[in-house]
Amino acid sequence: MNALHEVILSVGIDIGTSTTQLIFSRLTIENRASSYTVPRIQIVDKEVIYRSLIYFTPLKSNTEIDADTVKRIVRDEYHSAGIRPEEVQTGAVIITGETARKQNANDVLEALSDLAGDFVVATAGPDLESVLSARGAGSDKLSEEHRTTVANLDVGGGTTNIAVYQKGTLRGVCCLDIGGRLIKAAEGRLTYLYPKIQDLAKKHGIDLKVGDPADVEKLRRVCALMADQLAQSLHLKPMDEAHAGLYTNGGKPLPAEPEIQAITFSGGVADCVYQKMEGDLFRYGDIGVLLGQAIRENPDLRSVQLFQAAETIRATVVGAGEHTTEVSGSTIHYAEGKLPIKNIPILKVSEEDEASLETFRASITRQMPLYQPEGQLEQIAIAFSGETRTSFAEVQKLAAAIIDAAKEVVASKYPLILVVEADIGKVLGNALNVLLDYKKDVICIDGIKTLSGDYVDIGEPVAEGHVVPVVIKTLIFNS
Amino acid sequence: MNEKDLRTIIEQVLTEMNAGAAGSAAAAPAACAKAAGQASNVEDGCIPDITEVDIRTQYLVENPEHGEEYAELKYNAPCRLGIGKAGARYKTLPQLEFRAAHSAAQDAVFNDVDEEFVKSQGLFIVQTQCDSKDTYLTRPDLGRKLSPEGVAAIKEKCKKNPTVQIYVADGLSSASVAANIPDLLPAILQGLQNYKIDVGTPFFVKYGRVGVMDEISELTGAEVTCTLIGERPGLITAESMSAYIAYKATVGMPEARRTVVSNIHRSGTIPAEAGAHIADIIKIMLEKKASGTDLKL
Repeated sequence: MNALHEVILSVGIDIGTSTTQLIFSRLTIENRASSYTVPRIQIVDKEVIYRSLIYFTPLKSNTEIDADTVKRIVRDEYHSAGIRPEEVQTGAVIITGETARKQNANDVLEALSDLAGDFVVATAGPDLESVLSARGAGSDKLSEEHRTTVANLDVGGGTTNIAVYQKGTLRGVCCLDIGGRLIKAAEGRLTYLYPKIQDLAKKHGIDLKVGDPADVEKLRRVCALMADQLAQSLHLKPMDEAHAGLYTNGGKPLPAEPEIQAITFSGGVADCVYQKMEGDLFRYGDIGVLLGQAIRENPDLRSVQLFQAAETIRATVVGAGEHTTEVSGSTIHYAEGKLPIKNIPILKVSEEDEASLETFRASITRQMPLYQPEGQLEQIAIAFSGETRTSFAEVQKLAAAIIDAAKEVVASKYPLILVVEADIGKVLGNALNVLLDYKKDVICIDGIKTLSGDYVDIGEPVAEGHVVPVVIKTLIFNS
Repeated sequence: MNEKDLRTIIEQVLTEMNAGAAGSAAAAPAACAKAAGQASNVEDGCIPDITEVDIRTQYLVENPEHGEEYAELKYNAPCRLGIGKAGARYKTLPQLEFRAAHSAAQDAVFNDVDEEFVKSQGLFIVQTQCDSKDTYLTRPDLGRKLSPEGVAAIKEKCKKNPTVQIYVADGLSSASVAANIPDLLPAILQGLQNYKIDVGTPFFVKYGRVGVMDEISELTGAEVTCTLIGERPGLITAESMSAYIAYKATVGMPEARRTVVSNIHRSGTIPAEAGAHIADIIKIMLEKKASGTDLKL
């Protein structure tokens, strides 16, 4: 049993404000337990095996993504990599930054989701992007190895996504409208100005208008202001009155604790932070190079340690390809032939509601109508912790409570899907099966933590059927 | 020397002692009275239960160089490290904890499983050829053979030729039986019910070693025999249980034909989930008609 060793092929596709990229990676799963105990199957190795070219994200206008061109890029890259969509077992398409606010983002996700293999999921949202880029940059590992608190700043075209890791654990995320393509320049003139940045400059007495000459000194001052705002967001200096307005879609700042001790940079601008760029400052047609220099020279950002990121411009796509998939617990229950399932909304029973079976039942009953638009139940997964109900007797009661509260699901054509944190997936699945007289398909997986509002994808079983790959995601663009 | 002589000697010794310590003897009642007076001021508090300390979170080194890191590392496993020193010796608390853990281990081995508990689980009791714990510990061979009464009881009460025969044995930890069986046994039965696999009449073997399963397998004619047995206790837990499972076990078969699932307890594999897993192993065993090293799971 411990010889088990299996490789899953995963794809990551990132459609960002400025660039579109794709990677393929191999996830190796292995049983880490001895032959004398219950198996414990985990992802033990992640390796990027193919990196695409970096494309400018094709746009039809400032508000519309050119879906056809995106599709063609992805198709061509699959071809160059020599990989057929059906070989890919997991992965994620992620539309990030400002692009996620484009009108047709959902359509693009939809179109790609089919092209990119059977079990590839569409996902987006600034919080998730912060997490994926930080993991792609390796900030979580750096914080763990150095026993410190590391913030990764993924400075892209439209936004800066920040995630803070303390000793390997995520402590906070935020997203600011600060990026290298918020001011664009061509042939010595400004061609695009993002209103928030225009306002920020104006507050400091710098007037910018589309069509103005691209004055390097003036733009340096604007970039210094942007870098200063980044320092404020990390609590490295007090926040000024302009700061709160810079969070993407009115998002929240980072918590004040833990104090940030080190930083890494990823995203397109990161290379301009780590390296001194020679030559044409406007070679990308934007202020990316200047912003990178401003960040590097910012005295407050220099007050903390700077680590080299494992990935810079590819951090998000590597994050999407390598870090979205987890494997379930190794003792689970599922009906044969019902997987994979995709885009299942999570009905989450909170830990407070788990305190008694009455509140547990009530919580499911109360939330059920939310998943019945126009009175028709959609397919859902019921999720909870289960940490305090692990005895056989408690599991039986829990199963009875679920069947009672989720009558609609039991009566529907959909399987009954449970996503549990505590290691009770198999015994709970058995209990449900017996109580339902084997007449209902039951999928009960454990070892997976979820939040209300998440969606879940459950892949086909791997590792001789012991585990299933799981992707927990949020389709909400800006929470 | 008979009992009467002994009594005489003791009385004589006591008299001599009292004579020799007349002063202190007189003082004693006074001291007792004083102590009794204080006793009326006893507080409601109680001494903290040292067995409740989670040793993963216990870090007692004074003035450490990297205390926080050590404590974090230590949290990964229940080990007796980072517990400080008093001169060359352990500190009082870790010393007491060690002794408490050792006592729990001893109790687990030497105590019998409560018969009422066994009956409450719907199990009848048979015994091996051991007549006491001492015999059990010193004669492993007898712990692998059923007593004639045991053989008769199984023949009389157990279903013949079941697909699966499950039984419980005390093994080296009675505490393990009490701690795990209420979750483990029903979870296996439910799992097998799920697969519509027929199960024989479960029972309990007192003073049972793993090897007795071979005789039980032959007696009941079961295709698969599964014993749930208390593991030799350690200083971390005295409640760990193992399941040994074999396909068509026979007396004298090689040990390698047994499949084992170990480390079943509340901080290891949760007994209810382990039960569901064991049911799956049994199902695979029936399909592949093999067990132990012959069976790839």
